[in-house]
Amino acid sequence: MSLTSMVNALRPQKNFKTKISSLQKKEALWGLFFLTPWIIGFIGLYFFPMIASFVFSLLEFNPTVPDQAAYIGFDNWRRALFEDPEVGLSFLRTIRFSAISLPIGLAFALFLAVLLNSKNVLGSQLYRTLFYMPSMIPLVATVLIWNGVLNEQTGWINIIIQKFTGIQAVGSTGLRWLADPQLVYLAYTMFGLWGVGPAMIIFLAGLQGVPTELYEAAEIDGASWFQRLGKITLPMITPVILYQLILNVIGSLQYFLAPFVLNRGTGFPEGMTRFYMVYFFKQSFTFQNMGYGATLAWLMFIVGIILTVILFGTAKYWVFYAAEDK
Amino acid sequence: MRNKRIQMLFALLVVALLIAACSPAKPAATTAVQATDEVVEVPTDAAPAEKVQVRWFVGLGAGSDEGTFAPQKAFVEEYNASQNEIELMLEIVDNDVAYDTLSTQIAAGNAPDIVGPIGVRGRDSFKGAWLDLAPLIAENNYDLSDYDPALVKFYLIQEQGQLGIPFGIFPSFILYNQDLFEEAGLNLPPAKYGDKYVMPDGSEVEWNMDTLRDVGMMLTFDSNGKDAKTAGFDSTKITQFGFMNQFTDPRGIGTFFGSGSLVADDGKTAQIPDAWNAAWKWTYDGYWKDWFIPNGAYGGADFLQGPGGPFSSGNLAMIHIHTWYVAPWALGEVKFDWNLAATPSYNGTVTSKMHADTFCIPKGSKDPKSAFKVLTYMLSKEHATSLLSIYGGMPARLSLQGDYFATYTETNFPDKDDINWDVAVAGMAFADNPNHESWMPSFQETTDKYNEFWNKWSNTAGLDIDAELEQLRAALQTIFDAALA
Repeated sequence: MSLTSMVNALRPQKNFKTKISSLQKKEALWGLFFLTPWIIGFIGLYFFPMIASFVFSLLEFNPTVPDQAAYIGFDNWRRALFEDPEVGLSFLRTIRFSAISLPIGLAFALFLAVLLNSKNVLGSQLYRTLFYMPSMIPLVATVLIWNGVLNEQTGWINIIIQKFTGIQAVGSTGLRWLADPQLVYLAYTMFGLWGVGPAMIIFLAGLQGVPTELYEAAEIDGASWFQRLGKITLPMITPVILYQLILNVIGSLQYFLAPFVLNRGTGFPEGMTRFYMVYFFKQSFTFQNMGYGATLAWLMFIVGIILTVILFGTAKYWVFYAAEDK
Repeated sequence: MRNKRIQMLFALLVVALLIAACSPAKPAATTAVQATDEVVEVPTDAAPAEKVQVRWFVGLGAGSDEGTFAPQKAFVEEYNASQNEIELMLEIVDNDVAYDTLSTQIAAGNAPDIVGPIGVRGRDSFKGAWLDLAPLIAENNYDLSDYDPALVKFYLIQEQGQLGIPFGIFPSFILYNQDLFEEAGLNLPPAKYGDKYVMPDGSEVEWNMDTLRDVGMMLTFDSNGKDAKTAGFDSTKITQFGFMNQFTDPRGIGTFFGSGSLVADDGKTAQIPDAWNAAWKWTYDGYWKDWFIPNGAYGGADFLQGPGGPFSSGNLAMIHIHTWYVAPWALGEVKFDWNLAATPSYNGTVTSKMHADTFCIPKGSKDPKSAFKVLTYMLSKEHATSLLSIYGGMPARLSLQGDYFATYTETNFPDKDDINWDVAVAGMAFADNPNHESWMPSFQETTDKYNEFWNKWSNTAGLDIDAELEQLRAALQTIFDAALA
């Protein structure tokens, strides 16, 4: 965006100020008044804690001995950015895992939504419910269930693989889904697929908002199913895809629960599951380096903002808004 | 006009709701008294004096195994019934999460009043968080003459004070499954330090790590009935193992070969002691070459599961363990005969690692005086034995040591009269110094790091262990540098 366009973008606000009527002022005040509880909540529960965490990041602060807290300037920031190799490694692990799980998760949710949106599927409402149901199970329970399902000795996935393929999948030399560094991200991705219900529903809502006349016109023109999918369906739901993408990217950066439930954040196997948030938690609450933990949290916040801005920035190249004049 | 009034009314309602939401809740006690008023006429300002609540956190050491829950609860009930001033509240947290739980509680200003039993590792994991008991000991004229002065001094930590009063000692030894030795036609391991081991061919050999490996391999079998020393042994189908260092971490495994520390004497340089280097390589070979120690892949196998971990499954012939394991929760239900034997030597020296437990009061305790009152009850001559028999420790009180094991056996294993407790007592002469659980810079982070390496070694065959050890040393140095900067 050029400077001129930015100035132009700001100009209407200036005009708005001069043109505002007393009635609008009153309405604005009432609006603010009704927003007050949220503003108070935001200030008390988000803004002040954020400021506090920034102050913590400038301290050497062990919460078990708070009387020994000491101001150390930006030492924690220097350590995180330049000296602690685990910060970069845990971030790379997070990106690597996201690169596997995020596209698979989104594609699977979209795949289910497209299937359920088909007129040819009988009992689609039943399927919709069934596919949504696993996401109603608490994630901790889901992870523990999958831990059993993927057990190398007794898990039914290995038993099925061995029975139908003859591959030695069961036993200590079999497929060790959660202990093999090559398989562990795939296993964690499988946990995630159980929770695609909400994404599937949102995709479904997006699909149902695509005007049917577009499909009818395409059918008359002789477009195949894949052509309709590529030329109509996907472009029309790009706003929904963008929304899902942003949510999932932020969710991936904050990935924590599964590795923590399964191995208490030890990073097993070979540190592969010591994702950034796991490392943040360990530093803050297990190693009791609350000041350093606060620094790690701020770094992740900054990375999250940058990625979100980038995603929004790229949106103009691939997201199609039907109401937009393009 | 009417709209304006409605708006005002609505605004007032919102303000009232906000004020109500922000105002402090009514004290529960008032409600309780009002409720009692209906039955008994008790004036609200004359409510009966409430007992002081003292929270006792269990989980950093012994006491978080299910079998110990009921007797600990009974102890608490007995204490609560014995007086009217204090209500002791028991909080048992699984050892796996106890460290995180306690640090979160302390950080949130919700510290318990008593923590224990707690060993050196637990104590040093929370360096600076414990109360110096010296003023309370002086104030209460607490008599320490019944303890070995060296043991009392063990808890006197520089710049921190007297962090505990001795409670229990837990020597270590080899615990073996007698039935598996008999089935394999092998002689039992030495019952006394200095005794030789008699091999199947009748030759007498020193009871050292080489012998332990050989015997362990002869006790490791595959599903075809072949032992690990026999040609054709199938390492993918093992059904019985010979040995493991159970319920310990890499520092404990290293100490099996000799005392040492990951921190050099200067307090800031990371090192791998030679004995630990040898112990870790021996164990790694035991996992992946000699096959007599269950590796990570076998760790979760069904045939090694039992209430007291792999040994109680009946498919593991020997473990190195402490007295706290010789307890009903671990061995009460096993279907095989077992006994205690000497710890083997390494390069002619025996090192039998020691656990010494106590109870600590966190600095964050809301009522340290009441906590100390409970503590003195727990450590008293009359009641320490009940707790020790739950945790399986030798009493630190000299006056209780006399017939302790006889009483313990009678209480916990009435049908077993041949437990070789002598070897446990004799093992105290070979206690590790420095202790395998002693302080390291950034204690938890360092622990986390070496455990990460250990998980890799126990789950991955074919590693260059020398290179791995160097990587570990470098990683520890990075942690130490950051902690001591």
